[in-house]
Amino acid sequence: MVKVVTSTVIEAPVEAVWEVLRDFNGHDRWHPIVADSHVERGLPSDKVGCVRNFHLQDGSNLRELLLTLSDADMAFSYCLLDTPVPLLNYVAHVRLAPVTDGNRTFWHWESRFDTPPGREKELHDMVATNVYQGGFDAIRTHLGVA
Amino acid sequence: MARVYVSSVIDAPVARVWERIRDFNALPRWHPRIRDSRIENGEPSDRIGCVRDFHLQNGDRLREKLLGLSDYDYFCTYSILESPMPLTNYIATLRLTPVTDGDRTFAEWSAEFDCDPAEEAGLIEGIGENVFLGGFNALKRQVVR
Repeated sequence: MVKVVTSTVIEAPVEAVWEVLRDFNGHDRWHPIVADSHVERGLPSDKVGCVRNFHLQDGSNLRELLLTLSDADMAFSYCLLDTPVPLLNYVAHVRLAPVTDGNRTFWHWESRFDTPPGREKELHDMVATNVYQGGFDAIRTHLGVA
Repeated sequence: MARVYVSSVIDAPVARVWERIRDFNALPRWHPRIRDSRIENGEPSDRIGCVRDFHLQNGDRLREKLLGLSDYDYFCTYSILESPMPLTNYIATLRLTPVTDGDRTFAEWSAEFDCDPAEEAGLIEGIGENVFLGGFNALKRQVVR
């Protein structure tokens, strides 16, 4: 079992960051590795149990299921259903918290998954760097903050 | 039930911040509002259930009981047994979380308590500013890289 834990601070109010992140189908508008995305069966993207079906820039097709969404905790979790990359039993959790000192946002993003033997570090680093850290940087650009 | 929540970012690795705050008897060494502190009955300060008996700089005396301490999750939970403040059922948690982006620390300090509604706003303001934010600002000065 591989565990990836990343976190950052965004120089924007937590409500502004949550407004972007809570749309489970909105990642193609801010994350640079996502080319397009739609929610299957025309479901709303805040319906727990909905599936987002999306392509990365390299053409690979992924499907992810929304497991949890909480406006009270500003948190959501999801799992991978189909992926060409061998991230097995992948479950991820995102949560935001206000940094009251400065009206900023703490953003925590973590996941656990299995991999084929010997590929733990490669896939850990891919998720941590390309997906999560890349996402942090992209939100800063999207919101126009440092 | 009144709630206070204050959070901040301290520019030091979480282990260094935790080293300063995990000792339940160490308040006078890092919090500018605390003058002295001792643990009752000579118990170790990381024994769950121990009581710290301390004075503020203004002479006020408080007794607080350690309810929870985690070196794994970096949190400390405690209750007030005696204080001059007009509140009851006070339970607070001080929690640290690593900020991996920059190897910094996200620090949260929260409390819940009951009080007369007329006192609530003043208590929330005083605890949030003087105790919690004041403590974080002192830590920021002390553990700077």
